[in-house]
Amino acid sequence: MRYDSITEAIGNTPLVRLDPAVHGLRNIDLFAKLEMLNPWGSVKDRAAWSMAGPLLSEAVEHGSQVVELSSGNTAKALAVVAGMHGLGFKSVTNRMRVPEIKDLLLLLGAEIEELPGQSECLDPTATDDPLTLFHRTLSASGSAYLHTDQYFNPRNTEAHLTGTGPEIVKDLDGRVPDWFVACVGTAGSSTGVARALREEDPSVRVVGLVAAKSDFIPGIRTIDEVQEVGLFDPETYDTMESVSADEAIEGMLTLNRRCGILGGPTGGAAYFGAVRHLRALDEELNERRTAVFIVCDRVESYLSYVRQRRPDLLGRPARKNTLADLTEAEVSGAPSVTVADARRWIDSDRPLVVDLRSPFAYAALHIDGSVNIVDELFAELLRGGLPFSRSRPVLLACPVGEQSARYAALLTRMGHAEVRSLTGGIIAWRDAGAPLVRD
Amino acid sequence: MDGRPLFLEPRLEPRLRSLVAATGTLHSLIDALGSPLHMVVPDQIAENLERFRSVYRAHHLSGQVFYAHKANRSSALLRRLAATDAGVDVASLGELQHALGAGFSADRIIATGPKNPEFLWLAARAGVTVGVDGVAELDQLGALVRKHALAPVRVLLRLSGFETSGVRVLSRRSRFGTPVRELEALLEAVERHGDAVEATGAAFHLDTTSVAEKATALEGCLAALEACRSRGLRPRAVDVGGGFGVSYLAEREQWEAYTTALTDAVLGRRPPLAWGGHGYGLRNESGTLRGALGLYPAHRPVAGAAYLDELLAQPAASLGGRPLAGLLLEHLYDLHTEPGRALLDQCGLTLAKVLEVREQENGTENGGELLVRLAAKADDIALEDHGVLMDPVVVPRSGAGPGEGPVAVHLFGSLCLETDLITRRTVFLPRRPVPGDLLAFANTAGYAMDFHATRAQHQPAARKVAAWQDGDGWRWCLDDQFWPITPSGGAQ
Ligand SMILES: Cc1ncc(COP(=O)(O)O)c(C=O)c1O
Repeated sequence: MRYDSITEAIGNTPLVRLDPAVHGLRNIDLFAKLEMLNPWGSVKDRAAWSMAGPLLSEAVEHGSQVVELSSGNTAKALAVVAGMHGLGFKSVTNRMRVPEIKDLLLLLGAEIEELPGQSECLDPTATDDPLTLFHRTLSASGSAYLHTDQYFNPRNTEAHLTGTGPEIVKDLDGRVPDWFVACVGTAGSSTGVARALREEDPSVRVVGLVAAKSDFIPGIRTIDEVQEVGLFDPETYDTMESVSADEAIEGMLTLNRRCGILGGPTGGAAYFGAVRHLRALDEELNERRTAVFIVCDRVESYLSYVRQRRPDLLGRPARKNTLADLTEAEVSGAPSVTVADARRWIDSDRPLVVDLRSPFAYAALHIDGSVNIVDELFAELLRGGLPFSRSRPVLLACPVGEQSARYAALLTRMGHAEVRSLTGGIIAWRDAGAPLVRD
Repeated sequence: MDGRPLFLEPRLEPRLRSLVAATGTLHSLIDALGSPLHMVVPDQIAENLERFRSVYRAHHLSGQVFYAHKANRSSALLRRLAATDAGVDVASLGELQHALGAGFSADRIIATGPKNPEFLWLAARAGVTVGVDGVAELDQLGALVRKHALAPVRVLLRLSGFETSGVRVLSRRSRFGTPVRELEALLEAVERHGDAVEATGAAFHLDTTSVAEKATALEGCLAALEACRSRGLRPRAVDVGGGFGVSYLAEREQWEAYTTALTDAVLGRRPPLAWGGHGYGLRNESGTLRGALGLYPAHRPVAGAAYLDELLAQPAASLGGRPLAGLLLEHLYDLHTEPGRALLDQCGLTLAKVLEVREQENGTENGGELLVRLAAKADDIALEDHGVLMDPVVVPRSGAGPGEGPVAVHLFGSLCLETDLITRRTVFLPRRPVPGDLLAFANTAGYAMDFHATRAQHQPAARKVAAWQDGDGWRWCLDDQFWPITPSGGAQ
C-alpha cells in the first residue's frame, strides 16, 4: 500500500467478524465495520473529506476559515484537512464534554468556541439562541468561512452512500447484510449506508440507535436532538432504539477486552444495541443471517469519560503507606499542637514546617521559613519511606488541620516520633493573628 | 401515546405536601382573604439554608450565604432568615430598609445591582458591604464617603467576561461587572480611593445553568485576588453569586415524555400541546426542528446546594487541576453565595379558586379541552413567565370530589385579555375541577409570586400569608405579622 497523500488512506476499512463465543448469537454472523481505522481515527474522516475536499482550492484562494459545529470527530478530521491546506479551523459546540478531545483539537491547531449554558433566569420570549446567532454570523460574512454544515450537507451522506455502504457489500461477497445497525449523530453514516444497501436489496433492516434521553454518549444524539438534524429522516430506520451510557460502556468493554477492537463508546453502543436487538430474532432462526454495525472511533480519547462514569474500571491495587490504611482511631489520636504552642515550639526547637497546600496558595501567604510539599506529592514521597530524618521535628500544616492530622498519623505509624499537626491549620494561624508572609 | 395525559407533577417535600393536604385550612383562608393567595412557609427557608451550610461544612469553608431578596418580597421569609446566621443580598433602597428592619445587622448585608445615590448612601452609612460594578461606581462611592465623612466602606469587586485558556466560551453578554480585562484600571481606582473603600474580595454573578462557566469565573476571581494581593491589598472572599437552580418536577420521566411530545407536536406528528400551537421557542422548518426550547429545565438532577457542591468540586485547570473548594480553603478565602431561587425552593405556593369550568364551543378543534377560569391574573402566578411548566394540584371544595378520569384544560385568568392565560399549555388534571375547588400552584416562592404582580383593572394583587406547622395542623398569620418569635402554639 503506497499513497501520495494521507487522504487516500480514507475508506476501505476492514469488516471484521466477531467471535460468536463472545456475542452468543448462534445463527447470525455479526460484523464490525472498523471506521476507527480511518487515518484520523473515525467514521467522520470520510464525511469531512467529502464535504471540504471540493471546496478547498477556493477556500485557499480566499484564505477562508473552515468552521463546523462539532463535538469531536468531525472537528478533528476538519482540523487536519484545514491544516494540510494552510487554513484555520474553528469548532463551535456545547457538546464537547470530553477534555482530552478538546486538548487534541487544540494540539491540531483548532480554535474552539463553546456555546454558553442555558440561562438560569430565562426569558421565554427571547429568540436569539446562540446557534441562531452563529448561523446569522456565518451567512452575514459571505465567503470568509467554509462552513461544512455536517448536519445538513448531503455530501456527508454521500460519502457513505458511495463509500461505506458499497464496501460492506463488497466484503460480504456481493450480499447485503440482513441487519445494519448504526448510532445516529449527524445521521450521515446511517443514512448513506442504509440507502446504498437498500438499492442492492430493499429487505435489509436498519436499526438506528440514539442515547437515552437523560444520558450522554459522545457523538450520539438523543431522540429529541436528532429532530434538529437536517439529514435525519425517520423513514430511514425500521426501528429506533435507545442505549444508556452504561450500556455503551459495557459494549465498549466487550469490544476492547474480548474482541481486540479498541473502539470508543459509540462503537460500544452500536455493539450493545445490535446484540440486544438481534438476540430474540436469533432464537427464532434456523438459517444463517448477517448483521453489520459500525465502530465509529477509538477508545483512547474517552478515558476521562470512563473515569467519570466507571472509575472502578481504572482502579489500581492499593499501595503501601497510604492514608487509606489509617484507622479512624489513628487519625483522631494523631499528635497535634495548637497555634500558640506551635509558635513557641518553632522558636525553641526549629521544627521543619511542611505546608501541604498548593504552590499557588503557598506563594500567596505562608508561615515564614516553611517548605511547600503539595499533599499529592507528599503522598507519593511517603510511599517510598520517610523523606526526612527521624530526629528532625516536623510540623505539618494544611488549611484547617484535617489533612495534616492524617499525615501526622501516617508518619507516626511509619516511625517518626516528633511529628505534629497544626490544629486548625493555616486558618487558625491567621485567625490568631500569627504572621504570614509572601516572599 | 397520543391521547394519554402528559402530567408534570410538582416535586413536593414533606412540608409543602402537608400544606397542600390541609384542605380545610386552605379553603378557609381563601374564604377569608380572597383568591388568589400566596402562602409562604418560613421554616423551609431555614432548612434550605442549612443544606447550603452543610456543603460549606463538608468543604471546611467559611463565609456567608446571602439570600437574594429580589426573588420574593415576603417579610416573613426575611425575618425567619434574620433569626439564622444567613446574610441577605439587597438590590434596592427598599430592600435594604426592609433587611435592616427585619433585624439584619450591617455585617450580614451586601448591596448589589444597579444603585441610585440614596441606596448607595444608606449602604455606606449603615456599613454594609457594597458589590461594585465598576470604576464609575467606585468613584461615586468614594466621593460620597468623603463628602459625608463616613467610615471606609467594604467593597466586593464584581467581575465579568472571564476567559478560559484554550477554549473560548461564548458567554451571553452581561451588563454587570467589570470585564477582567479591565481589572488593572479597577484596582487603580481602588487604590485611588484607599481612604474611602476597602476591597475585601471579588464577585461574579453569571446567568447560566452551566457549572463549567461558573467554574471558569471562580478561577478567574482567584487570579484577580492574586492581583489584588500583589498590590498589597488584603482581600479575603470570593462571591459566586446565585443561580443554583431548582428542580420543580417530581419525576424525570414525565419531563422527558413531555418535552419529546412537544417536539413531536411542533413537527406536526401529534396534536398541539399548547394554545394556538405555541412551541415554546421551537419551530418546524421543513420537517427539521429549529430554534431553542425556551423552558426552564424543570427536572434537574443537580440543583440548589448540590449544584454548589458540584461547582466546588470542579478542577481549576490553570491552578494545577485542584478542586476549587480546596483552592478557596488553601488561600484562606471565605466563600460567599447569593442563592435566591434555590433558597426559596419549597418555600411557598399560590392558591387560586376555580370560578368556571366550560366546554369550548368548537370543542373538537382543541381536542375537547375544557376552559377553566380562575380568580387570579396571569401575573399572580408567573411560573410560565419564567418558563417553568408544572401542574397545579387540585384542592377539592368538598371531600375527594367525583372520581372521573383525567381531563385536559386551559387555565385562564380574570383579565379580559386573550393573553391572560395562566398556562399556555394544555394542562392535564387528574379529574375535572368544579367551581369552588382550589388549584394550588406549588413552589412559586422564587420569582413566581410577586415579581410581576400588578393591580391592573382594579383586580387585587394576591395577598400573602405565612404558615407554619403546629403539631398535626397548620397555623398562619398575615405575612407582615410574622416574626420568628410568633408563638407556634397556645395563647399569643
Ligand atoms: C463518535 C461518534 N460516533 C458516531 C457518530 C454518529 O455518526 P453519524 O453522524 O454519521 O450518524 C458520531 C457523529 O457525530 C460520532 O462522533
